[in-house]
Amino acid sequence: MYNYEWDRLKTWLDQYGAIEAGIESAQDIVRLDLSGNGLKSIPENIGMLSKLISLNLSNNKLQELPDSLSKLSNLSNLDLRRNAFENFPAVIGKLSLKSLNLSSNKIADIATLQECSELRVLDLSNNLIKEINFSFPHANNLITLNLSYNFLREMGVFFFSLSYLQRLNLNANLIKEIPAQISKLSFLKEFEIIENHLETIAESLFELPLEKLSLSSNRLTQLHLDGLSSLESITLDENSFESLSLGAGFAPHLREFSCESCSLKEFLLPASKVLQTICYSDNDIEEIPSEIGQYLNLKELDIDENSIRELPDTLANLSYLETLYANKNPLSEEAKKVVMILDPEICDLNMKTGIVVEKAKEEDLSQMAQLLSVLFAIETDFKIDYNKQLAGITRLFAHESSDLLVARYEEKVIGMLTMQRLISSAEGDYVGQIEDLVVEEEYRKMGVGSRLINKMRNLAQEHGYKRIQLAADVDNKNALQFYNRRGFNKTHLNIYHYQIS
Amino acid sequence: MKNREEILALEICECGEKSVAQAIEIFQETSLPFKKAKKLVTECNKSCCRVALLKLYDMNLFGRFDYEEIAYLIEQRAERIRQLGQGV
Repeated sequence: MYNYEWDRLKTWLDQYGAIEAGIESAQDIVRLDLSGNGLKSIPENIGMLSKLISLNLSNNKLQELPDSLSKLSNLSNLDLRRNAFENFPAVIGKLSLKSLNLSSNKIADIATLQECSELRVLDLSNNLIKEINFSFPHANNLITLNLSYNFLREMGVFFFSLSYLQRLNLNANLIKEIPAQISKLSFLKEFEIIENHLETIAESLFELPLEKLSLSSNRLTQLHLDGLSSLESITLDENSFESLSLGAGFAPHLREFSCESCSLKEFLLPASKVLQTICYSDNDIEEIPSEIGQYLNLKELDIDENSIRELPDTLANLSYLETLYANKNPLSEEAKKVVMILDPEICDLNMKTGIVVEKAKEEDLSQMAQLLSVLFAIETDFKIDYNKQLAGITRLFAHESSDLLVARYEEKVIGMLTMQRLISSAEGDYVGQIEDLVVEEEYRKMGVGSRLINKMRNLAQEHGYKRIQLAADVDNKNALQFYNRRGFNKTHLNIYHYQIS
Repeated sequence: MKNREEILALEICECGEKSVAQAIEIFQETSLPFKKAKKLVTECNKSCCRVALLKLYDMNLFGRFDYEEIAYLIEQRAERIRQLGQGV
């Protein structure tokens, strides 16, 4: 039977490409994406989508929602971020939502939220909320709450009614104190409250089962850390501490400890022996305790921008240390020897500044041809022949649909990468074929290859290429790992050659 | 809506007085992690322009820039500063 209302709604949805093929009735639609269409209103007959579970209306210009939305009894996820709501839509209180995103609107009053007791995930970040004066219903199930980038001045009664909350983000508000009632959040695992005005923290915070705690960019001057027996990561960056101390029982499972730019004179070592990352960059530290050698799981140590002259010999015990940042310290020659023995994979002391990645010039071609011999020495499919490589690279340079990048250090070409335009019948458009990525041995582990790839990807985007692709030698494990880490997906294709002459 | 050139010219960091284009160039010229690369742009330890810079850093890492997104984040921050200035 012909349904006039459905026909009207279908026509409206069709103009935004929101209906997939095969949808024949309103009851067939369970998910609807109307994001980014500049919509100022939603038709009332949307209420006939009685099976709708997920509705994405983000990135529009909505200021209100139709009342008929209340008929969507199955609606579980509603995305309204980046719209123009100045009021919390009242109809939301009549829904049984599990997940609601109202971030990046202009909402100040969220009293309607009291009616949303079934919510599990709520994002109200980037709004104009200054205070929340009500308690959430006692039987609420909220697990994740994001109220970052608002204008809250205190953690009031609302927060302490969130009995099952596990993740709380209060970044970039104006909060001065974490009060004692925080203990009521007895399931809290992740708490971020950076860029606030925190001056005091109640000790009851340290009794929570927190796994991650971020207190950076506040006004903390005194802090004694203890307890937090489940904590794995803590960041205290950008607080001007007059006094910071760590109790013996502090965070026995801590993996990451960061105190960057905290005006510290002392290098404090947390008790956790499973620590993997320590960051004390940009402080006034002069000495690293020799006990650091006992932290055998340490993978990253950042002591940049301090006043450290000597490094303890015990540092050489840290055989798992992959990354060491120690620049901008008056390190003695002895200290530099300790770093040499340690030989971490990434070390800013070894990094050369002044490596430039740019488009190749004609005068670079002979150096590029020589660099290719470094690559072909690894790739057994190819033979080193300087004249052929020079001829090839010269042709590429002259070809209008090719891009050639070089990494240059003090006028010398120390790395290169090429890309040629191809037409892909699969994509129906141009794609980029990447080849000849090579960096001279002594300039490796400095991120030069990544920079070449990043810049070439940027060029591919500028050209409007749909995809970039490459072939790598199956025996070159470093190259395969390199491309995997940078988001390239391995295909099921093998490459075959047929030699013409 | 701003075009690409206009967005590239937008100031992304007042402290370092850097435009979006300059920030992209700096990120392309370094292999340092975000925490350290950010300082090359801002030349300070503040975290005020962190959101837009982090997004730009990630875009550089993945090789695809969404300029409208960056413009939106810069505008959002400017709006917040304006609100704070008005004592919200």
